[in-house]
Amino acid sequence: MSKLILTNVSKSYGPTRAFKNGDFALEAGEVHALMGTNGSGKSTLCKIIAGSVKPDTGTVTLDGKQVNINSPQDARALGIGIFYQELSLATNRSIAENILISQVPLQFGLFVNRAALRKRADQYIDLVRDVAGEGFHADAVVANLRSDQRQLVEILKALATEAGILIFDEPTSALDRVQVKRFFEILEKLKGEGRAMIMISHRMDEIFEISDRLTVICDGAIVATRKREETSPKDIVELMVGGRSTLADDDGPQLRTSSIKEDKPLLSVKGMRGAGFQNISFTLKGGEILGLGGLHGQGQSAVLRALFGAAPIHSGELYLKEEIYRAGHQRRAIRKGLAYVSGDRVRDGVIHGRPIQENTVPIHAFRQYLFLTSFGDLSPKLEGALAKLSTKFEALTSSIDSLSGGNQQKVVIARWLIDKPEVLFLDDPTKGIDLAAKADLFALIRELAEEGLGIILYSSEDAELLNNSDRILVFNGGSITRELAGDERTRFNLYDAAYEVAS
Amino acid sequence: MKNLFVMSPSELIKQPLFVAFVLIVILLAVGEILSPGFTSLDQIIRLATVAALLGIVAAGQNLVILGGREGIDLSVGAVVSLSVIVAGNLMDGMNINIPLAFVLTIVTGAFFGFLNGVGVTLLRIPPLVMTLGMLGVIQGLLVVIRQGVPSGVAAPALADFVSEPFVFGLPGILWLWVGIGCFMAWLLRQTLFGLRIYAIGSNEQAAVMAGVPVRTVRIAVYTLSGVFAALAGICLLGYSGASFANVGSQYMLTSIIAVVFGGTSLAGGKGEYTGTMLGAILLVILQSILTTVNIDEFGRQIIFGGTLLVLMVFYGRGKGLRA
Repeated sequence: MSKLILTNVSKSYGPTRAFKNGDFALEAGEVHALMGTNGSGKSTLCKIIAGSVKPDTGTVTLDGKQVNINSPQDARALGIGIFYQELSLATNRSIAENILISQVPLQFGLFVNRAALRKRADQYIDLVRDVAGEGFHADAVVANLRSDQRQLVEILKALATEAGILIFDEPTSALDRVQVKRFFEILEKLKGEGRAMIMISHRMDEIFEISDRLTVICDGAIVATRKREETSPKDIVELMVGGRSTLADDDGPQLRTSSIKEDKPLLSVKGMRGAGFQNISFTLKGGEILGLGGLHGQGQSAVLRALFGAAPIHSGELYLKEEIYRAGHQRRAIRKGLAYVSGDRVRDGVIHGRPIQENTVPIHAFRQYLFLTSFGDLSPKLEGALAKLSTKFEALTSSIDSLSGGNQQKVVIARWLIDKPEVLFLDDPTKGIDLAAKADLFALIRELAEEGLGIILYSSEDAELLNNSDRILVFNGGSITRELAGDERTRFNLYDAAYEVAS
Repeated sequence: MKNLFVMSPSELIKQPLFVAFVLIVILLAVGEILSPGFTSLDQIIRLATVAALLGIVAAGQNLVILGGREGIDLSVGAVVSLSVIVAGNLMDGMNINIPLAFVLTIVTGAFFGFLNGVGVTLLRIPPLVMTLGMLGVIQGLLVVIRQGVPSGVAAPALADFVSEPFVFGLPGILWLWVGIGCFMAWLLRQTLFGLRIYAIGSNEQAAVMAGVPVRTVRIAVYTLSGVFAALAGICLLGYSGASFANVGSQYMLTSIIAVVFGGTSLAGGKGEYTGTMLGAILLVILQSILTTVNIDEFGRQIIFGGTLLVLMVFYGRGKGLRA
């Protein structure tokens, strides 16, 4: 009998429907994989089950009884445990305390029973002790652990809830092969105990190794649920593509034809390694729009930030216009003609509470070594840059906070247009901005490429990538796993590559 | 910002500049009632002189607070005290010594400000702790230098500059303050450095991404705070004629209050020096009224501390200090 059943569950954020048509069943004693591209609704579904998102409609039944999950506490009380992808450990505390953080054994209901704590923690630690490597014991402080060891602690923490239903969101991203094998052995044992697991992963091979059933989610709707024996990776990818064409908008621009004029590389990267990516090699030519694709958080953003000098590069060679380029500092990058636009404009872009003119001028002022900023003389330049994106604003002296999100992002981009850069890095630049602003932005990007700029575009919206890139590098687990060019730029190939076996 | 003349009353009351201005008028009226002659020209000039001393210290404090990342300079009072003694000893009552004393005192202030800046940026010490530590260091130094014996006399020209009518019947220090007001407005509005102070105070991460040399700007800001405190110390020497123990210590609290009164957000990135000037004037009038009604130094401290906390309740809404 089914353990957890969601019937007709939906969730909207304003006009956007994050999840609809949610009929989902989780059986006792199975590992159930959720498959879908960026923004398809996998996370929303997990959050609904874990109680951190409340659905607008629908019912949830657990073991035949209807339940209300209104908070993470409710979920825990009902026996639902979750593994968090974003590490949620108390880094200055021991492994034992982290594993048992929600059920610390107490004496007299008040004092921590250290001996019992260690003993209980050891039961879980023993599950992975021989594969965890050095220094993995109950008293070890989490801050001193490697990333794979921290992920093991997260897994043990989820196991220690002894919940009947466990949700694992990318639990193996930092683990090595042996550790993954052990983790799967543990899951097999839990299956035998009749517990149910939901798993999200970007490694198709692992999904086919461990899961009993797979559910494909596409645009917030559950498309199909298949038994593992009755399906194949190709089948799953086709389900994810659904009936959608390669282009997001059939009336919109067609697949891009390249505007590369010169054959000399503008930027070339060889064997670059850093936090969150490794073995990155590619070249970018003037006039080219190079897309970075794949599931969210596979190192695309980390590579762009590292190239711009916002994060360290551990090894590798970089050449800018065939000269050696040492990344490592934003100011050097800007002087060399690199530009970076972050999708997180609130954190990385907008200078809040200041006028539009002050938000437009900084790159120009920096590159021209300005000392005085007499906006009377500068305003034609600023207005010219803002007009290229048809930015709507009242006056240059109005506060940037008076603009809509799309217009704020336009101001941040306009910064880079007064003195033209050579290479433009776009790190998911359209996140959370309206459709009209997106259209303006991509029109500009194509125009800049015509003018000879080299552009690297990472987008979590696959249609944007497919419509605007000359080539697409697909990322998986911090590496480039496939390059799509010409007619290969299809949704099928993109999803197939995104879920490709990590080598 | 909209023109003050076209605002409705409900908008006006939210403008710190307007509130400060109204309070100044009210306090002057209260002073006149409590002690007739409070608003005589001589008395006003004396109040303005005292306000100028505070305003000069608060200029540096203003820059540090605008620079954000919980920026605050608790060592300004100690730097003022130190500057009074350094300047006084170097001048030794002789006009001819003024240039050298002036330069060396300013350099001393800049040095301690620079150390604060380095501690806050390169060593990543929280500003509160760094400048509090510096305050302790300087106070210790003061004891060592003085050996408990007051020393140092102002040069006559300096004393005249601060106290005697200079141009249009106003003492030189008031003209100096007006000059500093213009300088600060120019610095904050017209120079790239000024924009960068606002940028790092408002969104440091975005500033880094836009090529702002955040550490350099922040060190410069703390250094300027030391310079302004030293300048105030020199003027204070001229005002009092000779050096006394810890004459500057009151400026730690009052300079912060003046800045907050003037509408600068303690979270950084918002505010102007014009407001701080009004804040300084307001505070000095309040101080004078409290003296008139025989409230002693401790009572004034309690009232000032309370004023700061009340101000935080009114102006501290919205963006949290640590947001």
